[in-house]
Amino acid sequence: MKQLLAIMQRELRHELRSRRAWLAILLYICSTVYITYLAFQHELEPVTWSALFWILIIFISMFAASGSFSGREGEMLYIYTLVSPNKFIMARLLFNGLFMLVVSMVTFIVFTLFAGDPVVNIVVFLATLLLAVWGISSLLTMSFAISIKGGGGFTLMAIISFPLLVPLLLVAQHLSSQSLQNEMSGYLGNMAALFSLDVLIAAMCYLLFPYLWRD
Amino acid sequence: MKQSILTAKWWKIACIVLLIYTVIAGFLVPVPAKPILHETIRNLYFHVCMWFVMMFVFSISLIYSIKYLMNPKLEFDIIASEMANTGTVFGVLGLVTGMLWLRYTWGETGKDWWAPDPKLNGALIALLSYFAYIVLRISIDDEQKKARIAAVYNVFAYVMMMVFVMVYPRLSSVDSLHPGNGGNPGFNQYDLDNHMRMVFYPAVMGWVLLSVWVASVNIRLEKIKRYNSI
Repeated sequence: MKQLLAIMQRELRHELRSRRAWLAILLYICSTVYITYLAFQHELEPVTWSALFWILIIFISMFAASGSFSGREGEMLYIYTLVSPNKFIMARLLFNGLFMLVVSMVTFIVFTLFAGDPVVNIVVFLATLLLAVWGISSLLTMSFAISIKGGGGFTLMAIISFPLLVPLLLVAQHLSSQSLQNEMSGYLGNMAALFSLDVLIAAMCYLLFPYLWRD
Repeated sequence: MKQSILTAKWWKIACIVLLIYTVIAGFLVPVPAKPILHETIRNLYFHVCMWFVMMFVFSISLIYSIKYLMNPKLEFDIIASEMANTGTVFGVLGLVTGMLWLRYTWGETGKDWWAPDPKLNGALIALLSYFAYIVLRISIDDEQKKARIAAVYNVFAYVMMMVFVMVYPRLSSVDSLHPGNGGNPGFNQYDLDNHMRMVFYPAVMGWVLLSVWVASVNIRLEKIKRYNSI
């Protein structure tokens, strides 16, 4: 447990120190939201709002996930000698999950600044955001690890992760458009589906990462 | 997979016989008249069989991927990748046969090729994840690395495919136009009578044997290519 926290602290310090990384993410959020806003420029229907929001979340998450592994090859070898890969990936998943959560909250705030805030049922919406972003960040972390080991970079990560992200996205989209229009029919089932998808993805990452790590 | 089984002739001859039987009997044997479906229920022998074959072949691919991760023998990787390729082809065929079928049963004017149905979308996404597997394999050069990373991704893609093709269409929140949702994958809902069963079971066996035959030829070819380069 202490090892997990230690790794997470290290990641946090790294992120805070490299101002370039999170400033770039902030700039990316603002510019993508603004460009999206420029495209419609009037009141959005709830379904459209929801769809645009989730597409933005996907692209911003990809950008944020790809920034976090860069330029740290030497450190990986050092960490390899200290910590078992399972602990490392758990710490990495937890940290990335929290980071993505912050990023998505910022996205939500900026998006409501531009596109208005039609969210009727905020609790369900935030819960959806929480669950979905965990799943997205775990998947993207794993995809990025796969693409880095394969020497592919950002494009390979995008190709690998797009199909796998779709179930999460579909359920999240459904839930969030429900929470915008306040038709709360059967949302618990969808929440349970999101949660179980999260658990599934995290379990697979945990089991499969040591095989990637062996290099 | 022993070389002797891969090169044996008996199951290939059985495959040819079964498929000829399927095609002939599939169009001649009388079928129960269902509303809307009418004679198109014969698609069962082709479309549903394609998906069965795809699931079967992807399962074998998964097993060999896991085997490779536990014991890195080149042969396991060859089998896993060729099975995944074959499964993708059969998946595309399943999608195409489904699109042809839906054009005449679901589309109003007979001009639509796609429908916003969760099972269709799920199947397409599952196929996309296997296309990504193929792209992943192409983009890595080193053989050992390629095999290991591809095996890891194969597990991911298989589980996601299972979620998409099996779990997602059965969620209570999505309703589907597909015949046979809400129960087994379509058997009982079709109310198969004995005539259809007589053609359907041999059809499944025939198509499965065909897929294994195609995969076996590819496996033998890959083995020659790769073992010669060592």
